[in-house]
Amino acid sequence: MSTIIIGLSLGMLLFLLASGLTLIFGMLGVINFAHGALYMLGAYLCFDVSHRSGSFTVGVLVATATVGLVGMAMERFTLRPLYNRPHFYQLILTFGFILVITEAVKIFWGLGYKEVTMPEMLSGTVDMFDSTIPIYRLFIIGFGATVSLGLFLALERSTFGMLVRAASSDGEMVQILGLPASRIRTSVFGFGAALAGLAGAISTPLFPIELGMATTTIIDCFVVIILGGLGNIRGVIAAALLIGMVRAVGYTFMPSWVDVLTFALLIVTLLTRPQGLFSRQVRSA
Amino acid sequence: MNVSRFDVVIGLLLAPLVLVLPLVTQNDFYLNLATLIMIWSIFAVGFDFVFGSLGMVSFGHASFLGIGGYAVAIVTQRFGLPFEAGVALAIVAAATCAWIYSFFALRVAGIFFSLVTLALSQLLYILADSKLRDWTGGADGLPGVARPETFGIDFFNSVHFYWYVAAIFAVVMVVIAIIRTSPFGRVVMAIQQNELRTQQLGYNTHRIKQITFLLSGAISGLAGALLASLLMYVNPQMLHWSTSGDVIIMTLLGGAGTLWGPVAGVILFESLKEWLSGWTPYWYGILGILFILATLYFPKGVLGEIQAFAGRVRARGRKP
Repeated sequence: MSTIIIGLSLGMLLFLLASGLTLIFGMLGVINFAHGALYMLGAYLCFDVSHRSGSFTVGVLVATATVGLVGMAMERFTLRPLYNRPHFYQLILTFGFILVITEAVKIFWGLGYKEVTMPEMLSGTVDMFDSTIPIYRLFIIGFGATVSLGLFLALERSTFGMLVRAASSDGEMVQILGLPASRIRTSVFGFGAALAGLAGAISTPLFPIELGMATTTIIDCFVVIILGGLGNIRGVIAAALLIGMVRAVGYTFMPSWVDVLTFALLIVTLLTRPQGLFSRQVRSA
Repeated sequence: MNVSRFDVVIGLLLAPLVLVLPLVTQNDFYLNLATLIMIWSIFAVGFDFVFGSLGMVSFGHASFLGIGGYAVAIVTQRFGLPFEAGVALAIVAAATCAWIYSFFALRVAGIFFSLVTLALSQLLYILADSKLRDWTGGADGLPGVARPETFGIDFFNSVHFYWYVAAIFAVVMVVIAIIRTSPFGRVVMAIQQNELRTQQLGYNTHRIKQITFLLSGAISGLAGALLASLLMYVNPQMLHWSTSGDVIIMTLLGGAGTLWGPVAGVILFESLKEWLSGWTPYWYGILGILFILATLYFPKGVLGEIQAFAGRVRARGRKP
């Protein structure tokens, strides 16, 4: 049972991350390579702020907001001039940001591991289904579920969500109708980045904070969005939970094969269903 | 179509520099740096065959470099074969790996190609780092990679090894120049401009992409074998995706899609690295900023801009 809980919480974290990535791709057509770096930045910021302020909640909020602002600045000043160029320029541009953000983190926080103490309210364990389960894992599952539901409703039901979808399908038309298409793009990118920052922040009590987390995470995210079918939020939920479970089961029974298993899943998917496990349309980007 | 005059001029300008350097300095540091630049240039030129000519961003080229390095190390150490046999096997192994990658990666297009090559190369990195420890030495790598022993010359001497690499570098550049201007090279560039139209003209574009990827992998494997020999060491870092990132930075800075652009990029990258790392440990971040600015304002790279400028000047001169 605890394996399932671990798998679900990992899956939810991955979902928070990958949903930001897939949101940005779906709306802007940009793969944000620096997403993992933003996730790392969120974790470090949360560590710093929660130590200074003594409150984990403040840390999470500040980290999320700051990373969101960094994302908006990235979009406004560097991505906006690139939309008319071939897609790969955006990919390599965001790759450049990995280097910059990683070095910035090194300058501010050095090379060592950092840890965040679990907030007291969420630190205990509960006994459920004959096993002991940390409350924090349950919190992540609940939190992730809430965010995913909110995201889904915001995109599908709200006026702003409609605007975002309109701007992604025909930005020029939205502009002609007198709506701020560029500003919508900036806020979508900022929002996606904020999701990465949020995931980084709430992951801090579970994992040590280190520079390598940017790399390992972004690759897991890519696996999730390829499996889910890019731009497909529903697919990403399913794929994130699937990868989370594969990891959790793998860690329990054959820890050294976990990464290999994840990649094997990716390769098998690409060979049999290149458009993703949960998409119907044929992929061409 | 012949090799463009611009490319010939640059080659003729560069050749005396390469020839004179060992006569001017016997300093190991400069010789090794020049050798390193030539080896990375081979890698970058091979990479650009996919990136600049075909227009596909591979994030998996570190695999081919790394496989080349490991192949030469394993073949010479375990089986005691001569260095040249190791290099030959390195090329074959890297080409085979590229062929296997293309089998997966060419099923998807555009950015997905980048993601899939990235995932495959990280898989190989993880395998080399942990699962294949018996063969690769795990995270410690394999020390004591051989240097060539051809004709009984001592290639542990930096000058001798410099000449060895310079000769190979020259051959690679000539071969690449010929391929780029051959009918095959033109079709590769046609695919970048309009794949559908190329298909309609009767070319099997999938097969051509596969061959391009394989050739690119083979050249990268050669570079990997030489790099391992220069450093006398291989470790999983060679397979890591940041190595693929480095070669992208170099190629873009220098000028993707041109013959000498990747070489210019390597020279720029390595000089910047030497210079910046002298006064800050955070040189990689500065390089990142430079790279972002270059992507925004000089997407053609140093050499691409020069070539475009030369073209404009010539066009103006031709007008009455």
